[in-house]
Amino acid sequence: MLRIENLTKTYGDKKAVDNLSLHIHAGEIYGFIGHNGAGKTTTLKCVVGILGFEQGEIFINGSSVKASPVECKKQIAYIPDNPDLYDYMSGIKYLNFVADIFGVDSETRQERIRKYADAFELTKDLAQPISSYSHGMKQKLAVIAAWLHAPKMIIMDEPFVGLDPKAAFILKEMMREHCNQGGAIFFSTHVLEVAEKLCDKVAIIKQGKLIQSGTMEEVRGNESLEEVFLELEAE
Amino acid sequence: MLKVLLKKQLFEVFRGYFYNRKTGKARSKANSIVLFILFAFLMIGVVGGTFAAIAIGVCIGCAEVNMGWLYFVIMCGFALVLGAAGSVFNTYSGLYLPKDNDLLLSMPIPVKILITARLLNVYLLGVMYSGVIMLPTLFVYWVIADADILTVLGGIVLFLIVTIVVLILSCLLGWVVAKISLKLKNKSFIIVLIALALIGGYYVVYFQLQAWIRTLVANAAIYGENIKESAYGLYLFGRIGEGDLFAMALYSAVTLLLLALTLFVLSRGFLKLATSTSSVSKVRYQEKKAKEKSVFGALLTKEFARFISSPAYMLNNGIGVLLIPVFGVFLLIKGDELLNMTATAFGGRTDLVTLLLCAVLMLLATMNDIAAPSVSLEGKGLWILQSLPVEAKTVLKAKTAMHLLLTFIPLLFSEICAAIVWKAPFAEKLLLFVVPTIFAVFMTLFGSFLGVRHAITEWTTEIIPLKQSAAVTIALFGGWGFVALFALPYFLLGLLTGLAPYVAAWIVIFAAASVLLYRWLVTKGAETFSRL
Repeated sequence: MLRIENLTKTYGDKKAVDNLSLHIHAGEIYGFIGHNGAGKTTTLKCVVGILGFEQGEIFINGSSVKASPVECKKQIAYIPDNPDLYDYMSGIKYLNFVADIFGVDSETRQERIRKYADAFELTKDLAQPISSYSHGMKQKLAVIAAWLHAPKMIIMDEPFVGLDPKAAFILKEMMREHCNQGGAIFFSTHVLEVAEKLCDKVAIIKQGKLIQSGTMEEVRGNESLEEVFLELEAE
Repeated sequence: MLKVLLKKQLFEVFRGYFYNRKTGKARSKANSIVLFILFAFLMIGVVGGTFAAIAIGVCIGCAEVNMGWLYFVIMCGFALVLGAAGSVFNTYSGLYLPKDNDLLLSMPIPVKILITARLLNVYLLGVMYSGVIMLPTLFVYWVIADADILTVLGGIVLFLIVTIVVLILSCLLGWVVAKISLKLKNKSFIIVLIALALIGGYYVVYFQLQAWIRTLVANAAIYGENIKESAYGLYLFGRIGEGDLFAMALYSAVTLLLLALTLFVLSRGFLKLATSTSSVSKVRYQEKKAKEKSVFGALLTKEFARFISSPAYMLNNGIGVLLIPVFGVFLLIKGDELLNMTATAFGGRTDLVTLLLCAVLMLLATMNDIAAPSVSLEGKGLWILQSLPVEAKTVLKAKTAMHLLLTFIPLLFSEICAAIVWKAPFAEKLLLFVVPTIFAVFMTLFGSFLGVRHAITEWTTEIIPLKQSAAVTIALFGGWGFVALFALPYFLLGLLTGLAPYVAAWIVIFAAASVLLYRWLVTKGAETFSRL
């Protein structure tokens, strides 16, 4: 579903991502962990086409992000680490805007908005301007917008930040359901317990380089993910 | 503690003098000093000087008929209006909606100290605004009319009364503004309407002021007697400046009473005010089938939503939407007379009038700079457009289209008005449609080009992309430059070339430039946008 090959991204002289390769298959929840400034957000932004990159290739379902960016973006959804949405729109207007861009028909979008907004208890606030939303409400809206067009691949940067426990639980359920239906999820997180319980596979990045990846069992062995992560960080 | 809080608040007000608002970096000492000198020059030299000149005129007229009190009533009226109007928005944000209320309330600071610091801040700003009128007023009176101990004492008391009343008015008006901004639904439009009414009112007063003052001074004795009879309170108020001890005592007592009442009301409601959030009535969501839009339609709708959401955007960059049709209406009412007069002034050369009419329409079109800040306004939300499956060129086309629509429709109206009013040959009437329209297209694309080339995506307040960005500045002044380039050479070359060939050459130039800008926008511009 997502293939990252030898990705290298530099900012001036600094290599933010250094020769990183990953392969994410349909049905997988893939966790991406690393310390602050390790290169997680940069990698995710390259995947969704926000950032250009010097070397390597990224393919989504066989389409190159470089050569066919719009084609790739049609198959993915992205939730950034900080949901800076259009403050001047109401929640429902933002969702309709995203639905229009992805060409989701009226009936389908109505049904999905109802389903996810009810799940996140956001329905009554949909007519309110986004500027009046709390961080958590914006995050919920960003999640609904991401699921609105039923993407094949969902890319998320720290998706649980700002969500209340119930909303975090619902999101985890949605992630699992999405992958059970043949989709894939690639997300970064600092919450290692969540990664450990939720992810099928995990990749650890340090100073832009991939230092460990594989199934959860392969990566952690008999230790906890936290222990493995701290050991690798100390090396 | 009070001193620390006051220092912090004044620093916030004058932060722009110490830090560059675009970069957030500290200014050099020399830079700050220069900015303060400029500010002092503007306040004391320009504003203070203007009011000193007015004060001299009024004072001479009133002193001649022994009505110094009328002079004080007039000048204090100006001071109250300027003081309250100048500090009302600072009061609104500083007293009722400061961002650091939660932080300060969590610290061991008594609420009384917090209120006092906030009020002192408002008071000092009021002193600054009303002082530029009150100080020249007092000095002018003391020099021209009288300067004994009682009048000097009266002047000081008057100064204190005016500045305290400004504080009370600011608190009251700031509260009204806070209430309006929290309760109103379509506040963007209402703010734009109020701002336009104020600007209009300002110009009416500005152009009429001298005439009013002349009439007032010439008839000071009659007006003075009328005021004294019908509004004795005003007479007594003015008497303070003349050194009337009874008036001083009475108005000081009333002012102190009002101040105490204000402090009492504020201290009772401050915590509630400081910790309350927006109480705007919630709009209940009602599920309904959405109308599907094309990608371009969705982007265009988004651009319009952005435009109408911001009074600053509408006022600073879209004022042409209003000015262009206003000019059309003006032409319908006064155009015939004005254009014929202009033609006569040019020795019957109708071609010059046609050219000037085109130039004015073009100039009005430059008052719309909607596309120039549009990319910068995406700000932190830029990731949305960059991660959605839309081509960057489609995004830029939508931004350009909004500018074009908001300029073209009012322009067409004014062009029709011009064609109706101006009795020129058909060919010249046609030029009135073609030239401003093609120029508007060119300026729209030029604005979009500048918007991409000089995009600023990191800003703390939208005023930076809207007013202080290179894109907007170049678009505005560049537009005026293009109009001058179009119109002025004709005065030299017109007799040689004739109007039609001259204008045709410009049509070709603007059209060719538009094509080039469009090509840049959908190729390199789109590439630049997707990598911002």
